[in-house]
Amino acid sequence: MSAVVGQTDVHPESLVTSVEGRSPRQIFWARFRQDRAAMVGGIAVLTLLFLAVFAGVIARHVIGHGPNQVYDSMTDDFGIPKGPNSSFWFGADGAGRDLFVRVLYGARTSLLVAFIATTISMTIGVTVGVIAGYYRGFTDTVVMRISDVVLALPVLLLAIGIAAACGQTAAGCLGGFVQPGLGLVIFVISAFTWPYIARIVRSTTLSLRAKEFVEAARSLGASHKRIIMREILPNLAAPIIIWATLLIPSNILFEAALSFLGLGVPIDTPSWGQALSDAAGSGLYKSAPWLMIFPGIFLVVTTLAFNLLGDGLRDALDPRSER
Amino acid sequence: MRIKRRIATAVLVVAAAGLAIAATTASAGSNSSQHAGAAGANKAAAGGVYRVEYESSFDFTGGFDPTGEYLGSAQGILGNLLVRTLIGYKHVAGAPGNVVVPDLATDLGKITNNGKTYTFKLKDGIKFGPPLNRPITSKDILFAFQRIGTPSVVAQYGFYYDVIKGMTAFKTGKSKVIQGIKTPDLKTIIFDLTVPTGDFRYRLAMPAAGPIPQEVAGCFTQPNEYGRYLISSGPYMFAGSDKLNASSCDTIKASGGISGFDGTTKMDLVRNPSYNASTDSPAARENLPDEFTFTTNSNVDDIYAKIGRGDIEDEVPGGTPPPTVLRQYAGSNQLKSNSGDRTWYFMLNLTQPPFDDIHIRKAINWVVNRDALRKAWGGPFAGNIATHIAPDNLLADKLKGYAPYGTGKGDVAKAKAEVKLSKYDSNHDGICDAKACKNIFSISGDRAVEKTMLPTLEQNLKSIGMTLKDRVLKDAYTPIGTVRLNTPFSTRPGWGKDYADPYAFFGANFDSRAITPTGNANRGLVGLTPALVKKFGVKGTVTGIPSVDKDLDNCQTKLEGARPVCYAALDKKLMTQVVPWVPYLWANYTNVISKNVTQWQFDQFSAVTAWAHVAVK
Repeated sequence: MSAVVGQTDVHPESLVTSVEGRSPRQIFWARFRQDRAAMVGGIAVLTLLFLAVFAGVIARHVIGHGPNQVYDSMTDDFGIPKGPNSSFWFGADGAGRDLFVRVLYGARTSLLVAFIATTISMTIGVTVGVIAGYYRGFTDTVVMRISDVVLALPVLLLAIGIAAACGQTAAGCLGGFVQPGLGLVIFVISAFTWPYIARIVRSTTLSLRAKEFVEAARSLGASHKRIIMREILPNLAAPIIIWATLLIPSNILFEAALSFLGLGVPIDTPSWGQALSDAAGSGLYKSAPWLMIFPGIFLVVTTLAFNLLGDGLRDALDPRSER
Repeated sequence: MRIKRRIATAVLVVAAAGLAIAATTASAGSNSSQHAGAAGANKAAAGGVYRVEYESSFDFTGGFDPTGEYLGSAQGILGNLLVRTLIGYKHVAGAPGNVVVPDLATDLGKITNNGKTYTFKLKDGIKFGPPLNRPITSKDILFAFQRIGTPSVVAQYGFYYDVIKGMTAFKTGKSKVIQGIKTPDLKTIIFDLTVPTGDFRYRLAMPAAGPIPQEVAGCFTQPNEYGRYLISSGPYMFAGSDKLNASSCDTIKASGGISGFDGTTKMDLVRNPSYNASTDSPAARENLPDEFTFTTNSNVDDIYAKIGRGDIEDEVPGGTPPPTVLRQYAGSNQLKSNSGDRTWYFMLNLTQPPFDDIHIRKAINWVVNRDALRKAWGGPFAGNIATHIAPDNLLADKLKGYAPYGTGKGDVAKAKAEVKLSKYDSNHDGICDAKACKNIFSISGDRAVEKTMLPTLEQNLKSIGMTLKDRVLKDAYTPIGTVRLNTPFSTRPGWGKDYADPYAFFGANFDSRAITPTGNANRGLVGLTPALVKKFGVKGTVTGIPSVDKDLDNCQTKLEGARPVCYAALDKKLMTQVVPWVPYLWANYTNVISKNVTQWQFDQFSAVTAWAHVAVK
């Protein structure tokens, strides 16, 4: 094609320099930072992570006491906790403990449970989903029916049953393998969330395995393992990251729900769900609303922040998504 | 999508702003006004409807059948209003309310044969209510005991009557009669006992021992059945009793029950026309309202709102009213708080380390801040701080003021002094440093009050080097009552009297012969013998467990005034030489009444409102 008539002063070199090549990471970041909601969510998540990691330091050096320190002076003669003041920023809970410190430590519990449980369920879900989607046939049928069975189980009833059956002795069940507490909460959450990931990964894998680059690798004699590891999994990275960020808030709420029902973390471990449960169970929230307000706000903010972050990541990582 | 995320961002910002706003509003939200009501200010008059709501549900344990019903509040309704017994109570508060008085019997009975034979004469003019309207005879009381001895009816406290000669043989079917109960005529009944039983009169004052008409109750041989057909011997009856066709079991059963009681949510009582007030004493029963209604309400807030508005007169709360309600009514005479003759305590299993060491058991008793624990229950309205085992009422105040481990705040120095003497403190510095003192397995109930109490307890224990591994269970009583599970410690237990004699407190809790594999109340395993160790699967320190069986046997032979003295000595021994409990609260029964109530009284026997003495505008 000839040059445009009458524009002889435009040189091809200058055109090349005005269109810079950008790496996928740069494209992602450019898209992500334009999304203000995602940025707010990301900053909120980072703040919460900071508070969770440094809860102990803040409690020790800024506040001066731990989450289980009881202050008799912070409850009145009827056992009603006293409200926020200059020393107890969020007021006291029913036992006379500093609610601010407990909310800080609650962030640690929530995020710890959510991250570990999400990691476990993502690992199981991705492994199972890739195997089912790649091998198809009998393997797919068996794996997907197992996930159907897991999805059909009444999670809360099962958790109640496990806590009741395994809580009666110090040893718990199965020689101490199953004991009520943090481990059981993580186990229950992981065990019942992996099928969602497995289904998504399976459908994406089914689509990927039919792509030309996979066909090409196969025709070059690549092994199944190599195709999965080198061709399929790298292309699953974006959906995995997106679903992980969306699963975390869901798991935070799951932990809160289990703790609210008394099936969650041990009673002396601060947890937002447990704080809400205690406030509701004692009825103290009627005269001490801060018992509900602060853990509730942190729970909402955390969930919302992760959801916004997840939304933003999806938009930035998946060019096909509409904004 | 963008709009949604904008909204979400806005929510996030608003939520963050809420933190600041909440801090302001929260600090201003704790004030509440006090009622200056004057319930009881008006002169009590007869008439009116006295409306009562139960929190959540009736929770009857035996369907309100007097033979099987074990619930205290149900026994209160039965004893005050529906079922008279040979011996009864005045239905008043405090120690006088725990004194037995004649009811259907002419006097407290004649005791002969070294305390083993009791003879009673029935008053004239006593009758069952509609539809029978016939005189009550000694045969009706004998039939009540035959029902107690009929296993299928499930008399839940029937074991108290095993001291009657021949009762066990009757229960097991080896005899068709109860050898130890004789009715030489329709007005006389004689009880022969196997051993002198100083509290037998108290046992006769329980509703199961009241007269039961065979022509109606004989139609029902299963638990939870007769309650809906109950024929009154008291001043009130179920509304609709007169409509019951009692000509045969078929017609009785066809009715489906007396209309005034639906079995689960509603009970309507009206005056019994066959009741002869001259056979009763106004000191025991005044019977002022014309009608009582008992209903259930699962919304606690609604109950207190109704009381505030005067839509109901009284309540049967599930526990101490919420602290907010206590604060609202504090200082008002609408708030009633009376000793419920119940002790809340921490259980120490004498076979499990570190509680197999008496010094550790004593140390815990010293270190616990009972005053702070009581706050979790609602403060002083929740009850008095327990300083020994049985509430003072039951011991006729013989141990009033006795506090071997102090009266409130705990004493860390004295606790440490005890720990120093323990084998679990290797360097004798007052801090328990053995592994047995760390992560002690503890079972708690899921009640809000326990969850609130635990941090204080843990902080107390930490000061002597002890830590707990808490398990919160909805049904904590099952594992702690199952001996083979060897639970070392629990914050759940409490004990209330079955009847107003100290044996009802000490027998089940400390008699080694009362230890059962499941549902065991002797949770400390006091008096455990090597023979019982294998039988019940106990693991731990199973030798040298102190016993009080002989002390109990000795006290049981005592009569009247000698009994509290004897049991007071036993209480002291348990607190200082055995130490199986950390008693911390003698619970009050606390409730709120409306301004419509013109006269109110507390029934010490059943530990609820004395329905026999209340009056309404």
